Amino acid sequence: MINLFCALYCEAEPLINQYQLSELRQFDLFRIFQSEDKQVTLTITGIGKLNAASAVTYHHANLETSASDVWLNVGVAGHKSMAIGEVCLVNKITDNKDLSCWYPQILFQPSCKTEALITVSEPSTDYEQALYDMEAAGFYSIATRLGTSELIHCLKIVSDNDQQPTEYINKTMVKDLLIKNLDVITGIIDKLKVLSNELYSISRAPSCYQAFIDKWHFTATERIQLERLLRQWSKRLPDKDVIKSANKLTSGKSVLRHLQTTINETGFVIYD
Amino acid sequence: MISTIYIEEEVATHPRTFKILERFPDADKITCKRYGEIFNRKSQNFRLQKKQPALILARKHKGFILPTPKQYGIGAEHNYYFSHMLNCLYDCRYCFLQGMFQSAHYVLFVNYEDFLEELQSVTNQHKGQAVHIFSGYDCDSLALDPVTDFTSEFLPFFEKNKHALLELRTKSTQIRSLLKRKPIQNCIIAFSFTPDRIASALEHKTPSVEKRIQAILDLQQAGWQIGLRFDPLIYTKDYDVEYEALFKTVFTNLDPESTHSVSLGSFRLPKDYFRKLEKLYPDEKLLSSPLSEQENMISYPAELRNDMLDYCKKIITQYIPIEKFFPCHDSI
Ligand code: SF4
Repeated sequence: MINLFCALYCEAEPLINQYQLSELRQFDLFRIFQSEDKQVTLTITGIGKLNAASAVTYHHANLETSASDVWLNVGVAGHKSMAIGEVCLVNKITDNKDLSCWYPQILFQPSCKTEALITVSEPSTDYEQALYDMEAAGFYSIATRLGTSELIHCLKIVSDNDQQPTEYINKTMVKDLLIKNLDVITGIIDKLKVLSNELYSISRAPSCYQAFIDKWHFTATERIQLERLLRQWSKRLPDKDVIKSANKLTSGKSVLRHLQTTINETGFVIYD
Repeated sequence: MISTIYIEEEVATHPRTFKILERFPDADKITCKRYGEIFNRKSQNFRLQKKQPALILARKHKGFILPTPKQYGIGAEHNYYFSHMLNCLYDCRYCFLQGMFQSAHYVLFVNYEDFLEELQSVTNQHKGQAVHIFSGYDCDSLALDPVTDFTSEFLPFFEKNKHALLELRTKSTQIRSLLKRKPIQNCIIAFSFTPDRIASALEHKTPSVEKRIQAILDLQQAGWQIGLRFDPLIYTKDYDVEYEALFKTVFTNLDPESTHSVSLGSFRLPKDYFRKLEKLYPDEKLLSSPLSEQENMISYPAELRNDMLDYCKKIITQYIPIEKFFPCHDSI
């Protein structure tokens, strides 16, 4: 699943349209939007670090998130010298209040620049050579407790700089900045999706696992054993139907014994 | 190859840092306070990071030179190891690093001078006695040598301290800097091997067995002492055929005179590391090997292990004298 977080509706709207998200009306603390297949969800956090942190927590508590999910904070940010409209994937986040730092792990070649970011508590025009926003530290610090850090990122579009400070920002401009950069944003999401799919594929139980759970009783420890044995079976006896082989057995324990014995009796070749 | 470099503030002005950064003009350079801010964080995933590891330049503060575990050795009474680097360019599926670390980034401790100082004090403690120092425990000794200058910085120490013997454990063919210098008789370049087909299945991104043999031949010709490490020994149905062929290829190619030592050890991993490996690579065939658990270690059942070790020992000792043979396990 892709979990998107924007501070403002005008930042979110292009993404809501792009992924055809509809609002989930049952949630009243934060506005949450979701695609029909539930694969993309977007929460509007409101402005500020605390709001961002609370929104991530709320999102996680109300939607079924998992370790293989993508978490992406998308929004606008200030920068001393970068041109308005420049998109940056954040490679370091500093909370300017307590100077805590986080380092998003970028494991792919992004189609945009990468840059450090400072999260401030108040809007600021004291620009340095870094991005400035008000949410990333709140978003990232909580998201890394819930997800896998390689899949958690902040993508910012420069909306103000030394030449054109915050006074010039308005909703339409922000929305336009997002629309102009949708290709880059969706491109990053696609790259993250590839990593997420890989993680999902290794966290899934073997395909026949559920059939065993439905048919026999296994304790929690036995379920772990079962999963391990089913994986071994698929590698050692790929052509033998495991369910058929265990079909006549009457208890979970006898199933485990049967799987183990059959595997042990099979020759093992490490290469294909 | 390396697109992100993290630099600890403390080593930002270290000459080695500058030199390394020069090699990667296009890499993203990010400063941090301590490498632990990036390396081994709880929510990280080794498998994903292995796709594009970053380089972290850091300072090591203590524990530069450590005593080796008991069974680890090639004949000396005093054995130590050190790791100027954590993690490896290669991706062997049996490697314990993937169980030990959450992170696949390469950490390079650039303060070699502190390692060398402690090396001096450790070797001074054993004046007149043989002391062996192993490198390549938490990394491959040579794989990143062109970047780290590891050999050119550490070998002069062993040139001066002849009673200390250095083993550089590697699968790499990065031997250019070794070939450029006069061989040091108390430095062993120890290459690890598994049979070709096993290597192709498990040792990802490593040079082929053939290339490793060629590197050994070049080193031997230049006068370097060579070690052969058949560790880990990996079980497969026809392991006897595979290993016999490997031993034949290796030993008929190499000069037995400049083969310093041969060691042998079977696959084993601490249970926790093994369980982590199962989570990272659930479909890995190695994990469905006939393995058993003993005292929190996962390894082949004793009978199978002993059969394999005995068989390999028998063949190896047909090629080299028994004094050069060092089993690295409990059973031979
Ligand atoms: S070469 Fe050695 S250190 Fe590197 S991955 Fe392989 S086993 Fe691990």
